[in-house]
Amino acid sequence: MNPAIAIDHLTKRYGDVAAVDDVTLAVPRGSVCGLLGPNGSGKTTTFKCLLGFARPNGGSIAIDGKPLEPQTFERLVYVPERPALYESMSVAQHLELQRRSYKHYDAARAAELIARFGLDQRKRVERLSKGQHTALALVLAFSIRPELFVLDEPASGLDPIFQRVVLDLIIEAAAGGATVLFSSHQIGQVERAADRVAILLRGRLVLDDDVDDLRAGEKVVEAIFEHAIPSLDGLGSDVRIRRTERSGRMLRVYVHAESAAVAARIEQLGAKSVTTRDVGLEEIFMNVVAADRPTNLGVE
Amino acid sequence: MPAIFTVDPSSGVPIYLQVIEQVKRAVVLGALAPGEQLPTVKALAVELTVNPNTVARAYRDLEREAIIETSPGRGSFVRTGGTVHDALEALDAVVLRGLTDAVREAKSLGLDRPALEALVRKALDRWYSTNHQKEES
Repeated sequence: MNPAIAIDHLTKRYGDVAAVDDVTLAVPRGSVCGLLGPNGSGKTTTFKCLLGFARPNGGSIAIDGKPLEPQTFERLVYVPERPALYESMSVAQHLELQRRSYKHYDAARAAELIARFGLDQRKRVERLSKGQHTALALVLAFSIRPELFVLDEPASGLDPIFQRVVLDLIIEAAAGGATVLFSSHQIGQVERAADRVAILLRGRLVLDDDVDDLRAGEKVVEAIFEHAIPSLDGLGSDVRIRRTERSGRMLRVYVHAESAAVAARIEQLGAKSVTTRDVGLEEIFMNVVAADRPTNLGVE
Repeated sequence: MPAIFTVDPSSGVPIYLQVIEQVKRAVVLGALAPGEQLPTVKALAVELTVNPNTVARAYRDLEREAIIETSPGRGSFVRTGGTVHDALEALDAVVLRGLTDAVREAKSLGLDRPALEALVRKALDRWYSTNHQKEES
């Protein structure tokens, strides 16, 4: 079966800068993929290429195995980070427009979502707060029951309660069989809603994995040495290790697979104590970002 | 169905493992009886605010471990016969993991075996003596 979204060797340059650099990412049907990355890492540009709003310099995009075509947008909905709405139109008028434009528009669902976000239907868009603006865009998107959602930071500007509503909407959509690709700065959201996680750094895809597999493999091994930390002797080239940190007699090694074997190796170096603990997605993300920094002082 | 499961996504433990552990716990404690129906994958995903595929994965593993059984179109049920024993055995592994961590920690802090044994006895006395008296009275 074709993946819902297939991004293949996508490159997009602005001048000399590759905003997206040879990115290959597939989102299987029925999956929720969370796209993480610092500001300017290429998330929005990837979305723009994906939706045909920017012309890639290389690579290809396929939705359900086919290139973009006008009919694609009957089953795909995109919510940009700053949704374009009509300033002088009311919430109710936006719903009406949606009803006329989409054959799968679900009025009951729209009313329910309006209530969940506490939106006043009579209010004009120009009088909505930033959060309400985002909320309305999400109501419009989720009320047409698409098969595929592309959401660029869907919870930005929302308070914690409405952020939770967004999370619920994504999970409900996934439970209904939809596919979701969303970017976020909130790792906790990705941790809950996504079954796949991808990380973009400076235009490159540096991680793409199943969330559960990733979390099952990632560990941090902490070792304390009696005296100074000895030469780490080849540990730096161990492919199971993401990076290492040392302070005084404490050595911290971030491992992405076979942590027990790595722990045993460190014990052989004469560590006084070696402990292994689980790491959450936030720490994994920070490690991936830190490992990419040119200033990172890894093991020798 | 009341919320008998909870997960903590920020703990290092993958969510599907947390769901597996919670189901086993519910079976051992009798919150879920043999033959009783579990929430559907979708319902539990929405209730816990976690990805449905994550819940589906937990259910598949529970099925493989013979804790639950799923019949297409009807849903997932706690297996009848030997279930509590199986779930208990599975929970043993969880307890052993915790104990192993504690032993490793103690060793790394420089505790020798007799010292650790004394501590374990202390901990056991604290939790088990009162229960024991209750059973007797």
